[in-house]
Amino acid sequence: MGALLTAQSSDYSQDMEIDEPGIAADEEVWIKRAQRADARAFEALYRLHVDKVYGLCLRMTGNVAEAEDCVQEAFIQAWNKMKKFRGDSAFSTWLHRVAVNTVLGRIRKSKRDQDRLQLVAEQQEAPVTMGDTGEMRDLAAAVDRLPEGARHVFVLNAVYGYSHNEAAGMLGIAVGTSKAQLHRAKRLLAQQLEAQGFEA
Amino acid sequence: MTTEYEDRIEKAARGLRKEISPERDLWPAINDAITTPQRSRWTPMLAQAAAVILLMGGASTITYMTVKSDVQPVTAVAPNLVFEQASFGNHNMGPGFQDARAGLAAELDAELARLSPQARADVGENLDIIHQAIVDIDTALAQDPGNTMLQQKLLQAYREELSMLRRVSTLTRNVMVRNDI
Repeated sequence: MGALLTAQSSDYSQDMEIDEPGIAADEEVWIKRAQRADARAFEALYRLHVDKVYGLCLRMTGNVAEAEDCVQEAFIQAWNKMKKFRGDSAFSTWLHRVAVNTVLGRIRKSKRDQDRLQLVAEQQEAPVTMGDTGEMRDLAAAVDRLPEGARHVFVLNAVYGYSHNEAAGMLGIAVGTSKAQLHRAKRLLAQQLEAQGFEA
Repeated sequence: MTTEYEDRIEKAARGLRKEISPERDLWPAINDAITTPQRSRWTPMLAQAAAVILLMGGASTITYMTVKSDVQPVTAVAPNLVFEQASFGNHNMGPGFQDARAGLAAELDAELARLSPQARADVGENLDIIHQAIVDIDTALAQDPGNTMLQQKLLQAYREELSMLRRVSTLTRNVMVRNDI
């Protein structure tokens, strides 16, 4: 998200052309208004956070269409749960948690639908829109190819910087499992990337 | 392959982009979902509850009437039969159904007169429940005409009504036979 935010279709378009230092204060106002069912304030929150949520969904699913669906579902969930947001954590963290739950829920559902998501993920190349360049693109593609459990932990822990406690909480797994999955992910990535001559 | 290499990969992963713009604007669909009023689930639930009640009521009435033996001939007035929408989607209550229903309804007064006051009251009460279920389901169908579940429930309610009318007829004939003996 750049220094300026622009809304596409709301009365907030004036308000949303703001400098970075003012975002936090505005976000607080938007949150309170969204909690009172103000859809335009919620749109402002969407515009502010959509890139972060989409990035997370894309890294976790490795699939553009699934990531788009996850984003939409996550924001709808967030709208429905807005009143439950108490400000105990940053709104972005809360939103990430909602997004992770959405991804996991969709994966569970798709597993019931004959592992559709996993099959799609396996059949597709790394999404070209990830915006990574050069060797980072190779790394992103290798992350995409990780097994699901290892990929989720690696994305939350190594890419987004969540602690093992936080990642385990989001994923509904034990901290020890999170650590083991990260170790497994690093080992598998090293095997893949070393064979490609990746210079970390 | 070393732990050091793995650690370098982990460090490099922190450089992967965390914010990625979707290729298309995802807001319109979200906006539609959060601003479109959701259809109340209450009405279909009410219809289902009514259907359950009518099945339970029908079953208990038949059981009661089967074991009831003190029968006294009295004059009775049959509950009014209702006939809401009976053709929709792929379903149609044909002339055969309507003839059978009309014939049984015409005989209902005479049949009820052969039952005890308590049995007669029970039949009337259960027919009222079925009729109310028909009205409720029909009201729900008016709001959601394509709802297959509701269509099935309505057909089922009509079949239950017809079945109950037939059972009343059968029971009173059995009672007559036993009295003759």
